[in-house]
Amino acid sequence: MWGEQIRMAMESLRANKFRSLLTMLGIIIGSSTLVAVLSLGNALQGQVFESFIDLGTRRIGILPGDPDAAGARITSGYGLLSIKDYEALKTMTATYPDIFRVIVPEVSIKVRARAKTTEIDALVVGTGEGYQQVQSVPVEYGRFFTASESAESARVTVLGGLVVEDLFGKGPENKAAAVGQTVVINGQSLLVVGVVKAAGGPFSSDQRILVPAGTARLRIAGNQDLPGRGLQMSSILVGLKSEGKVTQAEALISQTLRDSRRLAAGAVDDFKLNSPTQSLNILKGINGAITGFIALVAGISLVVGGIGIMNIMLVAVTERTREIGVRKALGATDRDVLGQFVIEAITISLIGSLIGIGSAVALVLAIAAAAGLGMILSFPAIIISLVFALAIGVGFGYYPAKRAALLLPIEALRYE
Amino acid sequence: MSTPVISVSNVTKVFDGGDNRVVALDNVTMHVDRGEMVAIMGPSGSGKSTLMTVIGLLDVPSSGRYMLDGIDTSTLDRDAQAAVRNQKIGFVFQNFNLLPRLTALQNVALPMVYGRIPPAEREARATAALVAVGLGNRLKNRPNELSGGQKQRVAIARSLVNNPEFLLADEPTGALDSRTGHEIMELFRTLNRTQGITVVVVTHDAEVGKQMDRIVSLRDGVINMDALHDYYGIATDDHGRVRTAVQEVVNVG
Repeated sequence: MWGEQIRMAMESLRANKFRSLLTMLGIIIGSSTLVAVLSLGNALQGQVFESFIDLGTRRIGILPGDPDAAGARITSGYGLLSIKDYEALKTMTATYPDIFRVIVPEVSIKVRARAKTTEIDALVVGTGEGYQQVQSVPVEYGRFFTASESAESARVTVLGGLVVEDLFGKGPENKAAAVGQTVVINGQSLLVVGVVKAAGGPFSSDQRILVPAGTARLRIAGNQDLPGRGLQMSSILVGLKSEGKVTQAEALISQTLRDSRRLAAGAVDDFKLNSPTQSLNILKGINGAITGFIALVAGISLVVGGIGIMNIMLVAVTERTREIGVRKALGATDRDVLGQFVIEAITISLIGSLIGIGSAVALVLAIAAAAGLGMILSFPAIIISLVFALAIGVGFGYYPAKRAALLLPIEALRYE
Repeated sequence: MSTPVISVSNVTKVFDGGDNRVVALDNVTMHVDRGEMVAIMGPSGSGKSTLMTVIGLLDVPSSGRYMLDGIDTSTLDRDAQAAVRNQKIGFVFQNFNLLPRLTALQNVALPMVYGRIPPAEREARATAALVAVGLGNRLKNRPNELSGGQKQRVAIARSLVNNPEFLLADEPTGALDSRTGHEIMELFRTLNRTQGITVVVVTHDAEVGKQMDRIVSLRDGVINMDALHDYYGIATDDHGRVRTAVQEVVNVG
């Protein structure tokens, strides 16, 4: 019976090829969009995720407070992180060695950097030798600066992957040759001791010139220190022993900073803490929202496709009223007729969905091959597409099929 | 005497279209025994088509009783009605009503699809039925590749394929030329004589009526003649009904 019904459905689709194709179009577009968007969205999310995994999730970033935030006091230099804050945190972290692993500042200064005759805009980041433990800085040539260089505020620098290309030229030989050369910043000559591998992505050190924090503060920033508070820091990074200690660590850091900044009880924090897990969740959320939105549009397209199917099935029932009458005279039950038309609707939606999925798979594989992304097809998306198409076939085919099933044989036979 | 195949007792059918209330059948009683060849005749509007739809279980009477092969049809729900149509009635229509996208074989097999008969048996029986009506060489042709007479033969094969209690033919020669129509009537006669199949033909055509054994004539929803004849125009009576010459009946129509 089922085989017979499917065969009959295929026959009737074949009899109206162009009409069937037009009817399927909504489902084709919806299914292909769904599969393509979910696959590419997943791939994008995977990449973002990887760049975070790189950084490690066992760290907390401390950022200056937002002067525009609710409850912020209106003072010059509100929320900025000072050397005093850093020192207080450093003392605190040293007393909890089971929670904290490392603490480094990030002192950011926009500068002009020159090597030989080339001069570029760049960002100097002053930090500690522990920076590698909290940031992804894979050193490709040379080495990172040492604890003693850091302590001495030595005139050394590690160049980001793009900075070195801008200053010394592209290609591995130029990068390797950069080690041992000199970069001049604000009149200070710094020895290049290492070059970081270019990583790409928004969180890499590609665009940065890394120097010891003291070097940045004393030699490069010069008189940019704020009176009384020491040089402001763009952030302080704290590495943790384990991810499970994030909450505990955040409480300790908050308390230390509130004390150090003499915040009254009840006053809002004039600093911000964030962990990569947090940022990751935000980014995931954004990506998810975009993917979800497009998927919603795809879903709407599927529903519109379903309405198209309902429309054409209503036409088919009217066109084939006589046929229905004949079938009933020959012994078809209401359920036989219902089944026939529902299966026909399902056949349209499933074939449409398969065509859509097929084109989406081709597109996604082509993009993956071009971008070197590997296997990014979302199989759940394919399953969702098929299930959705099936549901639409049943949902939108049911009403016309029910109308066909309930036709009285005599009226159907007399229909001209 | 065995149970009549068709037993219509005091059947009335009223079509209530608001202002115009039409009594299509008015207290009609008639019976058909196994092996009979009966023509139901009458001019248009006489109620013969309505009687056909009642006998064919395509419509239900407003009142009265219709026993089909001993089954009280008023007790049947829609599914049971479909099953009875499938198993006990073989329909033949004026305009053949073959499904255009199906081959002759598939058309003939269709009642067996609804009878839930396995595909292999369907094919064997449908083939045999087509051979029996002389279309053994037209199995794979679609209706648009067949002549009118061939289409009606396919339809007759289809009506026979589930071994029904009776064939119910509605103007079976209406869309055919007279020679082909005569051949179709000969086929009915052959089936009746050789296999004892009960045939009920609804027609307004006197020539068709003449080729049947018994004529039931309606006018204005009432049976005004129910006569047997022996093909030579002389009626014989074994039902206690009116004895008359067929020519007279035909004149009524």
